[in-house]
Amino acid sequence: MAQENVLEKENEMAQEGFEPRILGFFCHWCCYAAADSAGVSRYQYPPNVRVIRVMCTGRIDIRFILEAFRCGADGVFTGG
Amino acid sequence: MCTMYCPRPVVDTYNERLDITRAPHIDYAQAIPSSYYIDARACLRVNYETCNLCAQTCTAGAIDFTEQPKELVLNVGAVVLAPGFGRVDEKVLEKFGYGRYPDVLTAFEFERLTCASGPSEGHIVRPSDNRPPKKIAFLQCIGSRDETCGNGYCSSVCCMYAIKEASVAKEHEPDVDISIFFMDVRTMGKGFDDARKRAQQKYGINVVRARVPRVDEVDGRLALTWTTGDGEHHSGLFDMVVLSVGLESPEDAGLISQVADIELNHYNFCRTSVDAPLVSSRNGVLVAGAFQGPKDIPESVTQASGAAAIASELLADSRNSETVTVTYPDEDKSLEEEEPRIGVFVCHCGVNIAGVVDVKAVRDYAGTLPGVVLYEDTLYSCSQDALKSIAEKIKDNRLNRVVISACSPRTHEPLFQETLRSIGLNPALVEMANIRDQCAWVHAQEPERATEKAKDLVRMAVAKARLLAPLDQPTVDVTPTALVIGGGAAGMSAALSIADQGYNVVLVEKGRSLGGNLKRLTWTLDGQDASMVLKDMVEKVKAHKNIDVLTSAKVESVSGYVGNFTSTISRGGKTEMINHGVIVLATGGREYKPKGYAYGESTRVVTQLELEEKLSRGKGFLKNARNVVMIQCVGSRGEDMTHCSRLCCTQAVKNALKLKDLKPELNIFIFYRDMRTYGFYEDLYREARRKGVKFIRYTLVRKPEVIKQPRGIMVKAFDELIGDDIEIPASLVVLSAGISPGENEELSRIIKAPLTPEGFFLEAHAKLRPVEVAVDGVYLCGLAHGPKSLEESVAQAKAAAAKAAIPLAKGKVAVAPIVSRVNQDLCIGCGICESLCPFSAITLEKVGKRKKAQTITASCKGCGICASHCPTIAISMGGFTDEAIMAQIHAFSPEGCKEG
Amino acid sequence: MAKSGSILVLGGGVAGVQTALDLSDLGYYVYLVEKKASIGGVMAQLDKTFPTNDCSL
Repeated sequence: MAQENVLEKENEMAQEGFEPRILGFFCHWCCYAAADSAGVSRYQYPPNVRVIRVMCTGRIDIRFILEAFRCGADGVFTGG
Repeated sequence: MCTMYCPRPVVDTYNERLDITRAPHIDYAQAIPSSYYIDARACLRVNYETCNLCAQTCTAGAIDFTEQPKELVLNVGAVVLAPGFGRVDEKVLEKFGYGRYPDVLTAFEFERLTCASGPSEGHIVRPSDNRPPKKIAFLQCIGSRDETCGNGYCSSVCCMYAIKEASVAKEHEPDVDISIFFMDVRTMGKGFDDARKRAQQKYGINVVRARVPRVDEVDGRLALTWTTGDGEHHSGLFDMVVLSVGLESPEDAGLISQVADIELNHYNFCRTSVDAPLVSSRNGVLVAGAFQGPKDIPESVTQASGAAAIASELLADSRNSETVTVTYPDEDKSLEEEEPRIGVFVCHCGVNIAGVVDVKAVRDYAGTLPGVVLYEDTLYSCSQDALKSIAEKIKDNRLNRVVISACSPRTHEPLFQETLRSIGLNPALVEMANIRDQCAWVHAQEPERATEKAKDLVRMAVAKARLLAPLDQPTVDVTPTALVIGGGAAGMSAALSIADQGYNVVLVEKGRSLGGNLKRLTWTLDGQDASMVLKDMVEKVKAHKNIDVLTSAKVESVSGYVGNFTSTISRGGKTEMINHGVIVLATGGREYKPKGYAYGESTRVVTQLELEEKLSRGKGFLKNARNVVMIQCVGSRGEDMTHCSRLCCTQAVKNALKLKDLKPELNIFIFYRDMRTYGFYEDLYREARRKGVKFIRYTLVRKPEVIKQPRGIMVKAFDELIGDDIEIPASLVVLSAGISPGENEELSRIIKAPLTPEGFFLEAHAKLRPVEVAVDGVYLCGLAHGPKSLEESVAQAKAAAAKAAIPLAKGKVAVAPIVSRVNQDLCIGCGICESLCPFSAITLEKVGKRKKAQTITASCKGCGICASHCPTIAISMGGFTDEAIMAQIHAFSPEGCKEG
Repeated sequence: MAKSGSILVLGGGVAGVQTALDLSDLGYYVYLVEKKASIGGVMAQLDKTFPTNDCSL
């Protein structure tokens, strides 16, 4: 991302009401399972994360993370 | 709908009567079967032939009041009784103010209060005023260890559940003050003592050793009085009192006994014996769980598998005679190869999803996505009817990729995969979007944004679905032989069970003869001659045509995976190779060798097992004896080893009674920390007290001392009640030495089976997979798992035998298709994947001139570490290919994101 | 006469369910009988289980 774009982004984030779009890579056995049980227990959290299930966080290639940022993710969450 | 329209409120028994529901209802959202039922006792239609509202409002037409009870006659080869336990009579609880004071609850009621889906949504509140209590008291042994109500036994589980409930309460409300009133703290389960200590330290739960006789009300609060071990009287006011009620025999135990024609014991539980704990008095009728005696979840699960093993032994000749085999049509390969024709099914899950997410909007949105030819919404996608309809629609529209937008693939993917298989599509061609557990349920207050998220998840799932490829369903053949390591009571029981189920067993014992610790035992805890039990077992093992016994033998190495292990066994300087499909670890344990207490310095200081050996040779050694002192927890519970050795309390009491039998005038003193004579062993404890055995409690800070004197032995100890030291000249000091693990380290390394910090083997799941090990095809029983009685070892051995026989009975092991595959044209043989694989599932093999990586499909768990680290991108993961995950990432943005 | 390859399991709590699952895996047909409307027994009423604090359901 070019320097001015980064600044623009930071500016945007500083504004109130900024809602980051986060892409999550969740391990099937732990984080994905935990996210399911959060649902079963009806815990509430903000709807900003979109989830890609993987069988292990070991599956996550660095290219995936870079690609996520390139495709507009404000953050990448890996849970394993 | 039916629940909504029913005019008849009923108490919600699932929520321990703390809530109200209607006559037609479902106990809880995850209930199986997941259908509503009508409480016939309350229904107006059933009782007065009026109403009928529910039948009219049910859109599925599922309520039929003309249905009558039916009697079925089933022809079965065996019966397993697992009716569970009954509740303590409310009359017993009335003594503690239950029913009179609203803030006196049973632990079952309290459990519902702590539950997020319970009547108070997880808030702990007093029923009297709905306010959070500041001080809570838990009273133990309500309806247990209490002869006045007929329950002389210990319920075994209440100490632990009280600590759990107190911890959960502290997590909800950190400021609440909690005291638990114990007689003895009986946390003798595996890892329980440790967990109890952590709970005490982390949450600051007060442990009071006293029995509270009654509960009174003073100014709207609950008043308790109690007396501690030093004779002091105390009193205190509490806002809530929780009664840790015990487990009784089931209410219909009498009826079950009559119908099944089996004998009950004096407490109305099923009568069994130490060497056959899962067998009732009637041939072919087995028992498992709390009906055999009060017990916790892991033990119930263990007994359940054990009972299955015995049924399987009895009916081995009829195996597979009545099971139904599902057959599948051939896969339509040409359809699978066509351009993606995707069908999207968006599930309402009743109101679970549709109550938050705009399902119809998501459905219509799915229709705009490339490749989607069919988009529909369904009320319950997982219901039998819906599955049938989905299958038909897939066929009619010649779909070759399916997206189910519903709940979690963790729970429901197999179901939809099965649906695809049933109509000739490869099961790998379905993808799920989790819009319930990870969307509707967690964003209940934000329906619009939840709908947006659901659309995104569906878009990403569709993007992945376009790239899904059919995967092979690999299976590997199983060598029908089990390797049992350890020839003690557990190993022999497991070997006999597997052999009786019709499979070969190689039993490896490192010692010169079979028997293990059973060889040193004189009597079993129920008074049987231990040598007879041993002799019987050894003879059966030696005579069994399916069992090959190797003594003085050692397992040197194990390679392979479930179904196809190869082990090297060394024996008398020679080694032999054995092929087998499964492994049972029954390596046993040892009596702890005491340190201090003048052990080894005087012949008058012995361990319990040494005492038994003396006793088996007659009573001559007691001729001049006057005082016998027993010291509990030698080596256990933080003295040297951290764990509780579980059975030393009962063993001490058993031996004390034996001594009293031989010489009634003998004075016996038992120094203990908590007497843990759980279950029916409590009877022995009571008998010992009645016969004059003196029990004196000590703490780790003031341990009894054994002092060697010129003419004998003196035991000096602090007596809490007197408040001073006492001195006992002892003719004999018996140390209740704990149970230490065997030499498990080497085997743990060979098999890659993890150990606990104490050195016992670690089970795959403490509650639900108590006899399985994290490595597939390896099972666990006896002292190798942790301290336990002979009875428990035998039950656990049967359980391990059941689990071990499953792959043997199936003959094939299915391998999940989501494994890694190496494209050997791209592979440069660098070996990074081999070094990283946590399961040793990738090897380098010579192909032509160069080394190439190769996946051992049966060992691969599909984690994908190899794929993400391969420098040449030569490794692809079934179901999770680079392309598919990239497609999901690209679909993350609603506007799309082109390849860069 | 050959013995029946079916087994009756009385009780649909954690013990009964586990027996039924193992028996069907071992190649037997199981009739699981439970007096209540759903299986799971008391364990389904528990909030958490010790010491792992897993959800019971």
